[in-house]
Amino acid sequence: MAGSGRDERAWVRRAQAGSQTDFEALFRAHWGPAYRAAYLVVRDAAAAEDIAQEGFIAAVRALDRFDRRRPFGPWLHRIVVNRAIDWARARALRPEGEAVDAPAPDRPERDDELLHELGRLTPEHRAVIVLRYLLEYTPGEIAELLELPRGTVNSRLRRGLDSLKERLE
Amino acid sequence: MKFEAPGERAAEDRAWAVVRHAYAEREPVAWPRRHARPLVAGALVAAAVAAVLSPPGRSVVHSLRKAVGVQHAQTELSSLPAPGRLLVSGPGGTWIVNQDGSRRRLGSYRDAAWSPHGLFVAATKPSELVALDPKGNVRWTLPRRSPRFPAWTGTRADTRIAYLSGGKLHVVAGDGTGDRTIGPAAAVPPVWRPGRVIVYSDGHGLVAYDLLSGSFRHTTLRPAGPAIRRRAGLSEVVSHRRVVFRGTGTFGQVVRSPDGRWLLVTWPTADQWVFVRPGPPRHIVGGSRVSSQFGGFPRIEGWCCAG
Repeated sequence: MAGSGRDERAWVRRAQAGSQTDFEALFRAHWGPAYRAAYLVVRDAAAAEDIAQEGFIAAVRALDRFDRRRPFGPWLHRIVVNRAIDWARARALRPEGEAVDAPAPDRPERDDELLHELGRLTPEHRAVIVLRYLLEYTPGEIAELLELPRGTVNSRLRRGLDSLKERLE
Repeated sequence: MKFEAPGERAAEDRAWAVVRHAYAEREPVAWPRRHARPLVAGALVAAAVAAVLSPPGRSVVHSLRKAVGVQHAQTELSSLPAPGRLLVSGPGGTWIVNQDGSRRRLGSYRDAAWSPHGLFVAATKPSELVALDPKGNVRWTLPRRSPRFPAWTGTRADTRIAYLSGGKLHVVAGDGTGDRTIGPAAAVPPVWRPGRVIVYSDGHGLVAYDLLSGSFRHTTLRPAGPAIRRRAGLSEVVSHRRVVFRGTGTFGQVVRSPDGRWLLVTWPTADQWVFVRPGPPRHIVGGSRVSSQFGGFPRIEGWCCAG
């Protein structure tokens, strides 16, 4: 669970000053959402791990320049989700025809079915749905994170949800 | 949406080991350091040019001529003196060199490895691990971030490829399925040992991971086979405690032929490959202008599979 805004600013400040304990607190607070978001976009656990890890390494590299007045989460999620979209696009160009993670069960539960169908959307649609419903960003915040017009975010959300609804019915 | 991704906790611990290392090594970027890099690079280039043109640089060529002997010196490599095929990678891509000296460029890959019987090649690009046949046809790809150092082991029926990606050791089946993350790993090539054991560095020491039991243990590797020794501006190849070849400058690698009779010594400073049969009788064959044949001096990835 991410800490409060005040906790987070303190962690960033002390991490910038060299406190590994505070950097670890920042890492532990943000790993889960970052990894889950990457996984839902790429649908490959090992790739999601690499992508989330790369996001944190990018955070380490930029830590000294990071503006402490800004929240850390959106900045990290922007890196992670954009990289996940790039990765998913690259894989779509060269399909592997292999299941890296466990295959879906014969009789999927409702949640599994939803995740399965989510994985069939385009990476761009997946990303906005993950940002909206997993990480709970507003469409305006998603537009800012992905550097898209707000109308595009809204239309991707609507189309993504419509598509999921059709497939699940 | 309540959701936990597969392996979330284990992934967190593995990633923290890598990220913590990056945090511990971070340094605030300062102006003098940023600008020192081109100066250092310039100084290194100048030193390299001076070395090539200086008497010690020229003596590399002289030393080679002396070591090889004019009667055995070749302008370019015409054939391999022993059965098998070489796999090499360098700035000009990854190549296979057949015993008759013919070459095939497989493509632009960073590093590569033979499959256990030489039927396939595992190779890496900046964003994927690739399996190829020896004609260069891609059999499968696995998108991964900066994969490095593939190492392939197994039998004809069941093989495994170990490789590094994102600061971790991975193992994937030879058909590209079932990719698994084993643990944090330093940027050192992993090595297979008999019995499905992979030895790698975790940054603190060597770790042996047993694929069958899933157990880890700390280990050491005893140097085996021929080795390169450097002393007083000379390089020497030592095999069975005997110096079998010596030259000025720096040798790159020494690789044993599949039949065990020949050693291939790479000599980047002389732009040569030298094949040495320790004998008796001792025999030496040189191949020159290696860089021009491969678009840059390549690294030997393997000499595989006689017969």
